[in-house]
This record gives sequence, C-alpha cells and structure tokens, in this order.
Amino acid sequence: MIALLVAGPVLIILVSLFIGRYPLSVSEVFTTLGFRMGLVQADIPATHITVVWDVRLPRAILGAMVGASLAVSGASFQGMFRNPLVSANILGVTSGAGFGAALAIIMFDGQTFFIYLFAFAFGLLAVILSYLIGTTYKATPTVMLVLGGVVVSSIFSALISLLKYIADPFDQLPSIVFWLMGSLASARFTDIVIAAIPMLIGVVGLLLMRWRLNVLSLGDIEARALGLNVFIAKSLAIFFATLATAGAVCVSGVIGWVGLVIPHIGRMLVGNNNEALIPVTISLGAGYLVIVDNIARTLTGSEIPLGILTSLIGGPFFIYLIRRTKARGW
Amino acid sequence: MGIIDVRNATFSYGRENVFENIDLEINAGEVFCLFGPNGCGKSTLILCMLGVLPLSNGQISLGNRNVRGMKPSEVAKVAAYIPQSHEKPFPYKAIDVVLMGRTAHTATFSPPSPADRKIAEEALEKVGIAEFRDRPYTQLSGGETQLVLVARALAQQTPILIMDEPTAHLDFRNELNFLETIVNLVKDSGLTIIMATHFPNHAFYFEGTGVQSGLALMNNRNISVKGNPLEVLTEENMEHVFNIKSKIISYTWKNETLRQIVPLETF
Repeated sequence: MIALLVAGPVLIILVSLFIGRYPLSVSEVFTTLGFRMGLVQADIPATHITVVWDVRLPRAILGAMVGASLAVSGASFQGMFRNPLVSANILGVTSGAGFGAALAIIMFDGQTFFIYLFAFAFGLLAVILSYLIGTTYKATPTVMLVLGGVVVSSIFSALISLLKYIADPFDQLPSIVFWLMGSLASARFTDIVIAAIPMLIGVVGLLLMRWRLNVLSLGDIEARALGLNVFIAKSLAIFFATLATAGAVCVSGVIGWVGLVIPHIGRMLVGNNNEALIPVTISLGAGYLVIVDNIARTLTGSEIPLGILTSLIGGPFFIYLIRRTKARGW
Repeated sequence: MGIIDVRNATFSYGRENVFENIDLEINAGEVFCLFGPNGCGKSTLILCMLGVLPLSNGQISLGNRNVRGMKPSEVAKVAAYIPQSHEKPFPYKAIDVVLMGRTAHTATFSPPSPADRKIAEEALEKVGIAEFRDRPYTQLSGGETQLVLVARALAQQTPILIMDEPTAHLDFRNELNFLETIVNLVKDSGLTIIMATHFPNHAFYFEGTGVQSGLALMNNRNISVKGNPLEVLTEENMEHVFNIKSKIISYTWKNETLRQIVPLETF
C-alpha cells in the first residue's frame, strides 16, 4: 500500500519528463537524467539538459509537492472543522498570500524572492488573524473561526483589488493577475528548495498527527473528555496545514479546488478514517496536480494558467462526486 | 472519601449560577443516578466532574485528585464520558470510534499501538456488538450507537463511567438492553457509574438488580435530596420537585420485591 502511494506520483513525475512542446525520445530523457546524476558519461546537447533537468523535472516535483500540500491541508481542515466542504482557503490563507504577492510585485518590481516571502508571510498573517478573531468568543469556537476566516478573506480580497487599482497597468497589473491565476511555470530547483521546507514540515506534521484528526473531528467536548488537549492539538494541526498551504501558494499562486476534490476522491477510495485518508490524499494530490500541469503546459501553444484548469476540472468533477456519493451520506 | 467528591461546588455562566454549593460523595462500585427536571444543571455538573468546564467555586476530586489540576489525558484515564447526543461527523467504522477511547494512551505524533487496537476489539466484544465492527457507525441505530460509545468508554479502561442521559434516544427494548449492559459491567468489573437521567425508574431498576445504587435529586440549582432510591423517590419529593401526583407501586419478579414510580397527574 505504502509502496503504491509513493510509486504513483513518482511514475507520473517520470512520465511528465517526456511531455512537452520540445520532443524528446525515451532514451534521450533517460541519458540526460543519468548524465546529470553522474551515472552516465555521454555527449548531451545543452538543450536537452535545460528541458529535462532545469524545466520539466523541477516543475513536476514542485507540482507534486504543491498538490500534496493543498490536498492534505484540505483533508485536515475538513476533519478538524467536522465539515467535508471546507478547504485551506477557509482561514484566509489564499487571499492573504495573494495580497502579499501583489504587494511584492508593486514594491519590489516582482523579484521572485520577495514574492515568495510576502506571499508566505501574509498567508500566515491571515490565518493568525482568523484564529485571533475565532478565539475571542469562546462559546462556539469553530463557527467563530470560520467566520474569522471569511472576514479576513474579504478584507484581503478588497486590499488585492486596491493594489490592482493602483498598480502600473502595463507591467505590474498583468503580473498580479497572472500570479493570482496560479502557475508552476517559474519553477526552478532553487525555488523548490525554499518552498519545500514549509511544505514538507506541514505535510509530514499532518501525516504524523493524522490519527489525532479523527479525535478532533468528534468536537471539542468529546475530544477533551477522551483525553486530548484540544487547544494544543487543534493549533498544531492548523499550524501544519497553514505551513503546507502557504508554502504551496507562495510558489504557485492561487490554485483552487485541489484541497476539496482530492480529499473526496480519497474518501471514496479508503473511507473517512484519517489514518488511511491522509496518506492517500497526499499521494493523490501529488499525482493529480502534476497531471493537470502537464495538460496546462501542452494543451495549447501558449500555456494555460494552472489555477484556471484546476477550477475548470475541479468544479464539475466535484458536482459529479456529490451526485455519486449522495447515498453514502458523508 | 468517595471516588468522586464534590465539595461546595458552584458553576456560573456570567452572573447566573447554574448550580450552587453542591456537595456530593459517590462511592467506588456504585451506580449513581443524577435525577432532576430539564435544565437543572445535570449536564453542566457532569462536564465539571470531567474537568471540561471549570467550577466558579468549590472543588471536585476525581479519585482523590482535584480535577482542576489534572491534564485532559489524566482525567481520561480515571473517568470516561458517554454524551447525551453524539453528532457523527464522518461515517467512521464502529471499531475506529471505539479505538478513539485510547486517545489518552497515545502520544501526539503516533497512532494507537497494536495493544491499543486489541483493547478496542475487546471492548467491542464486551458490550456484545462485535458484529458491527466494520460498519459505518452512521448506519447504526440509536441504541447500537450508544453501545459503540459505551465500548469507546470501556476502551479508556477507567474505573469511572460518566453518562449524560444515555437512554434519551433509545426505544423500549434498547433502553433495557443498555441498562442490563451497565449492570453487567458494574457486577463484572466493579466500575463506578454516574448517570444523569430523566427517568426515576432507572434508579429503582438498578436497586432491583442488587448493585449498590445511589441517587441525588437535583432541583433549583441544588441537590434537594440524596440517598438510596427508596429514600429519595418519594411521592412527596415528586410533588415538590416536579409538581406531579405519583404513586410508588411494588411488584414481585423472580421472588424479589421491586418498585416503580408511576406518574398520575400534573397540577
């Protein structure tokens, strides 16, 4: 089972090395890989190295990490908030990160490092604000938390509109709009390393505490009576899910629906026990986003932003899932 | 000193006292019913006993320790909770729900051990619902769900079970089946049971089975009477607390004289 969950995404990443505008044969791809890993001595054209090693491979790996992060944080939020219809956006991560990116595009001329930093920092800030709002009134913490997320989201959305309004319409505005659409096009190995740290911490953290998510889903009183320190457990889970989401959003922009659709496919496959669901969600999310990204970069001559495709595919697919699983009553 | 000791306990939401100056001593091995009209504060008192809600005044000891100084995991190793109504968030399998009773025995970043899983299986068997092991518990009836929650509480392996109106949503047969399960647990394992209930006859039922049984009548933010069922469930007390006329009747079953209280009319 574990082998399958690892092999699936790895295989999809491998396959995506062959897919693209620049045609490469199977042997060309493998010799290039082998050459860069120091396993093969060969005379490889520089273009091959660029296409396989510098463009397709980092992009596929980043896609897998982003997909896994978005999917697993979605599944975790659904467990925590006892609601199968929430996703990572619920606490305002996405709009906070979007605002941060837009701000960096205007203030720092769109330097990648600052976009990442600002997107990540404001994504975190948005969740912290939602959390503070959510804990002011103790009687209904979950409802207040979600309400806090809605308020913070709408404030940051308004601020994004403000930045768009004052941005330079020939240079900055298109960058902001394009960033908000979500894409993996800028992925390089150096980027992967920066963004991988929060994503890995988040994904591994959630993977380790996945059984606790079951207990949290019973609600605060029962979880506490079962011996859980609910405040600590919930804060930890939110922290990990936020790290994963913010890490993903800062490199990829806004990619919707992954956190909603993938956990539900997981629920159909292995049920709702987070012990099985979380690992399956990580694997499915990783594979799914790499596949959709392959479609995004090959479907038309110029690339379609990934976020547009995930929503175009995710929305209808979600309706289909709801219709199919209606009888099973999650 | 009892296994649960409530001393001068007061709880308030804001300025309104839910209950005040309650003293209660529950002995090990006893089935103790907490009886009283709707909204008299039974559920709140139960949550205070579990340390979920903090008292505004007074103290509650659980197995000789002040519950206030205990971590959630420490409380969960002494007392297990069976809620009045359990909202089912996801269609977990029955065994998965029972396994959650092992929460206090697992660390934050580790899943339950094989030993924990074995304890959960045994708990499921002990309440006689091993056949539902792999069923989504959303498909179980109210009575079956309640037994899953009892199994979950047993998996906690605590000396005390605290239940909040556990039979409220059960039909006639399931209610009796539930009470029988409880009595067997007390007789076999020497558990202490605290049970909030709307039905005075539960106390008579427990008394009739020969287990040590106690009862407190909660009313007007306080406990008006406590003692054994015969002392507490008098026609006068029913009149006083519920404003009803009632009659205690005796009957014989298997050579034992048993009692029931029958409500006659309101006034």
